[in-house]
Amino acid sequence: MRNVTRRYGWELLLVVLIGLAGIWSSTLSPYFLDPVNLLSSAQFFVIFSLMAFGLFPIVVQGEIDISLASTLAVGSVLFGQLSVAGVPLVMALPVVLGACAILGAVNGFLVAYAGLPSLAVTLGTLGAYRGLAYILAGDVGVTGITPDYLQLASTWVGIVPLAVVMVLVVAVFFWLLMARTAFGRYSYAIGNSAGASLMAGVPVPRTRVLAYTLAGAMAGLAGLVWVSQYQSARGDNADGSILFVLTAVVLGGVSIKGGSGRALGVLLAIILLGTIQTGMKLANVPGTSQTLVIGALLVGSIGIPRSIQLFRQKFGRNKPRASVRPAATVA
Amino acid sequence: MTSTSTDQPRKTLPARLGLSGGAAALKVRFIGVIVFLALLGIAFSALTPRFATLDNGRSILFTAAILAVAAVGQAIVVLTGNLDLSVGAIMGMAAYVIYDIAGQNPVLQPYVVVLAILLGAILGAFNGFLVAVLQIPSIVATLGTLSIYRGFVSFYANATEVTSGQLPPWMRMLATASWFGLPAYVWVALAIVITTAVALRVLPWGRKIYAYGSNPKAARFFGLNSTRIIIGAYVAAGIIAAIAGLLLGAQVGNINSLLASGFEMQVLAAVVIGGVSIWGGSGSVYGAAVGAIVLATINNGLVLLQVQEYYRLLIQGAAIVAAVAVDALVQRRIHSATTRRRIMEVVE
Repeated sequence: MRNVTRRYGWELLLVVLIGLAGIWSSTLSPYFLDPVNLLSSAQFFVIFSLMAFGLFPIVVQGEIDISLASTLAVGSVLFGQLSVAGVPLVMALPVVLGACAILGAVNGFLVAYAGLPSLAVTLGTLGAYRGLAYILAGDVGVTGITPDYLQLASTWVGIVPLAVVMVLVVAVFFWLLMARTAFGRYSYAIGNSAGASLMAGVPVPRTRVLAYTLAGAMAGLAGLVWVSQYQSARGDNADGSILFVLTAVVLGGVSIKGGSGRALGVLLAIILLGTIQTGMKLANVPGTSQTLVIGALLVGSIGIPRSIQLFRQKFGRNKPRASVRPAATVA
Repeated sequence: MTSTSTDQPRKTLPARLGLSGGAAALKVRFIGVIVFLALLGIAFSALTPRFATLDNGRSILFTAAILAVAAVGQAIVVLTGNLDLSVGAIMGMAAYVIYDIAGQNPVLQPYVVVLAILLGAILGAFNGFLVAVLQIPSIVATLGTLSIYRGFVSFYANATEVTSGQLPPWMRMLATASWFGLPAYVWVALAIVITTAVALRVLPWGRKIYAYGSNPKAARFFGLNSTRIIIGAYVAAGIIAAIAGLLLGAQVGNINSLLASGFEMQVLAAVVIGGVSIWGGSGSVYGAAVGAIVLATINNGLVLLQVQEYYRLLIQGAAIVAAVAVDALVQRRIHSATTRRRIMEVVE
């Protein structure tokens, strides 16, 4: 039992917080806890979740990608245009996911092979891809999406929306990918020390490019969800949503410096953020002020553990013992 | 290189080679920006006759002025190897909150700049605290404060606007004034650029920023207080951003809670294009200001050519990546130059 709390302490904390946020939200509205309401509110967070899972391996590798929302915009506009042009979804899906994967791969190549800092690269492509989306969408955007593209949002599996099922599938996929495959092992190794991983024979650049490519494809998939939910596509789609996405990943216990974090944490963080945001909606907090709370959570989720650590270092009583203990256990 | 080393003293040559290699690369980088600006000017004047006029030159400088001020603040932070994504939010908050308070208490109207300095220092100090004390990576910390500051403004504004009638009349006049043939803002920007450049060069505060930025570890061994340096850089950047916000607000007139949102992209583009290394430690605020003029020129030229607004984003983004790629080459040049020297010294 103690092992479980130790290993999954962060996740347990998230579960407790979700419970508290749920209680708070249900005091605001009696309808909050209605399962149908819960599941249909969950639909609003599908787009963020897909991007967050895409970002997850990149952050584990110690890098970042802030261009994902722009990639989503390109994907959604492409889906819209192909739909209007009469291309069936089965054909459009590989094309658009491929295009978005290429956009991600461009980031990956610039980071992994050209050795540029990921923040600067994706800051540049954040603007560039956004511009591309605007150019593709034109001034008015794309409307008149055909019904086959809209099915994703209107199909329900029992009482569960199909899009929510998709998120669960994606969550399991990323859990397996990061916990059970060589790619996952490599990612954690790179995040802990890229130099040491390279010397140990880990294909560092290839693993990095793969992570960015995958993230691009996930953003493309999120673009499809966007099109199906909003029934239109414009160049400014999802502008600024990277804040929510990055907050979800970091709040999920994925260290921003790389090397640690689990898919379960990311999923729980999304549920927590979703519950809080739904609660704020019920409490009539305006959308722009909601960003204040999300931003505070982003800063707090890293800052509070760090300040506790600092506080302990400074005032903790067992400071001298801490340095001896590891040696003693080894002996 | 190896052939000449025989007829010169062994010790000085590699040292000189190493130094001149790195310094030359940096010099080429700065001259490169100027040459790029000149080429842009030539290209645009060839494409449209309306570009190369005195009036248009003035309008480019006017657009560049506020961007240059904000870029100078950002450059200080980038020199420490960090980033400030909250610059646009600080600008918006300063403009909205200060003009709103001054509009309600006309007594305060002469002191808006003092208020901006206070507010900017507080917001910057919070950024610096998160980055230096809690050691949150600057991108995450300032992305968070971006939304906190912006969220606060929209909470404070409550969907209302500060109208131009509420602004201090002297700020309104400054926005439209023209001194010695140039807009007053250009002179204000020039004063801020030069003051900051001198401060970075002369004051221990500035030297420490460069020292820390070029090698944080060495700076710590040398006894420099990294926490204080980073917070100092963020405080300065916050103050300058707040002043830039006042300038922008006075220019715009009616201020809503979204003023200057997304401005951080342009500011970072200006800084990076201007040759301030994203790795920290090298570059100058003059470069950042020139970078702002480059961006303003591109925008102006594209408007005159009637190119769609969207291409600007694409070009701006590509320019950031290109500038960082060039910086990476310069960095490698310096690195190889300095490591070669070190190896030679060991051999001796």
